[in-house]
Amino acid sequence: MASVWKEFSKGLWAEIPPFRVVLGLCPTLAVTKSAENGIGMGLAVIFVLVLSNALISLVRKIIPKKVRIVCFIAIAATLVVAIELLMQAFTYPLYQQLGIFVPLIVVNCIILGRAEAFAAKNPVHLAIADGLGMGIGFTVALTFLGSLRELLGAGQLFGHAVMGGSFKPFTIMIEAPGAFIALGCLLALMNCISIVSARRAGKEPSVNAGGCGCGCCEVKQ
Amino acid sequence: MTQGKTFTEIRPRFVVDTPPFMHRGYTVNAMMRDMLIALAPAAAAAIWQYGIEAFRVMALAAGICVLTQSLWEKALGRQSRVFDGSALVTGVLFAFLLPAGAPWWLVATGSALTVILGREVFGGIGCNPLCPPLVGWAAMTVSWPVYMDPTAVNLSSSLLDPLIRMKYYGWTALSQGSEMALLLGGQLGGLGSAQIAAVLAGGLYLLVRGVVRWEIPAACLAGVLITGAVFWRFGPAMGIGPASAPPPHLYLLTGSTIFVAFFLATEHSSSPVAVGGMFAYGLLAGFLTVLIRIFGMYPDGAPFAVLLTSLGTPMFDLIRAAPFGGKRS
Repeated sequence: MASVWKEFSKGLWAEIPPFRVVLGLCPTLAVTKSAENGIGMGLAVIFVLVLSNALISLVRKIIPKKVRIVCFIAIAATLVVAIELLMQAFTYPLYQQLGIFVPLIVVNCIILGRAEAFAAKNPVHLAIADGLGMGIGFTVALTFLGSLRELLGAGQLFGHAVMGGSFKPFTIMIEAPGAFIALGCLLALMNCISIVSARRAGKEPSVNAGGCGCGCCEVKQ
Repeated sequence: MTQGKTFTEIRPRFVVDTPPFMHRGYTVNAMMRDMLIALAPAAAAAIWQYGIEAFRVMALAAGICVLTQSLWEKALGRQSRVFDGSALVTGVLFAFLLPAGAPWWLVATGSALTVILGREVFGGIGCNPLCPPLVGWAAMTVSWPVYMDPTAVNLSSSLLDPLIRMKYYGWTALSQGSEMALLLGGQLGGLGSAQIAAVLAGGLYLLVRGVVRWEIPAACLAGVLITGAVFWRFGPAMGIGPASAPPPHLYLLTGSTIFVAFFLATEHSSSPVAVGGMFAYGLLAGFLTVLIRIFGMYPDGAPFAVLLTSLGTPMFDLIRAAPFGGKRS
């Protein structure tokens, strides 16, 4: 049980997909115009990620090594078509908002990355825990980024005006450049928190201070 | 070399510092003093034209820039560079692009973004890939276009924005013989950037003092004039109405073309270092200015044109002479 919890919880902070391992940036940047879009995209990814991890883990012993990527993609594509049809049936406005980014979950590097790095090597219960943790981490990250951008860029949160009447929306935050600015600031904040918490624990911070990591061109602090 | 060690395991034994290795005693402080002297005529003209409003915007922008930079350096524990004057100059340059009636919160947000997003996140002075005032200007223009529109925020002014007239009524809507008035700042626009004659005087001072090289402004203005002349002459044949392709000198006399060419396109760390690259950079910026003015959504193309062209600076830097004793890369 302890190992299940370990695999589940690593996706929530230590390896949270868009902010720590910087994977799945295409939907992260493109759909987070509002908190609602972020949560919708995240839920779709949880569905695909958990089921694809489970399926791949089940068939991991019968997939030939040489064609494994094709098999992973085929499984992911099947699941994505399923979620796409479900969204068309039940949440059509959200489907229209997310547009092309729902089909693009097929080639999302988180799905393929977890399949290759984890599900293909581990038993089913661990693979499901891993998929669930990574999916929830992705959803939390997207919802947070979406809320931040919606709050600054439109003065709203989940579609409700919260900033008061005199607030002039900072529109660039819900445009494309705002996505990069917000993501950059959040990455810097994550690194800052890690450095501070590592120092507090009395360890050397693992974040590279600069340069290429060879030790020759590191920035002196 | 020690046996059994890979190259990267060997620590360098000599202290290797970044260039310049030789200088002539012209410091950043002195350069910024020259910039302020060059900006002074246009600032005076702006205050003469708009009164205390213009002074309010310039003072607020400069103050917020200096404050933001000192707070940022304090927060990051970096060595303070506030006293080299670059933050002050950046603030005044940013204010020159704003209309005189800009609300205080827009000036404050824009100045803070100019310093943080334009320069400090990349490592401070000399590390910025884009011209900082233009970054702040672009963020403000995209976010609050109404408050950046000189006509909308200077309702009491009797002057007109020639760019809007040219865009929507054609250049023939400008009264005949108005060139002299335009040159002397008789137009609505950015508070300092529209003082064409004063800005030109300041730009020439920068050239004389050697703060900027003549290649970039010259190429930039040549790019505007050549492209403008082509559209003026052949525009009707290309299906562009004669009213939307003004004679080339009007591009220079309206909006911020001159200011951008002399003060912003020449920003040292975001423009190319070699002569060939400078000419290509300037010509492209001028070309894009005219294209945005004729076809684009925004009336004044010059700031966006330079912002876009600066992104190509690493490419323009490849156009250079072979280093001494080395091969052409």
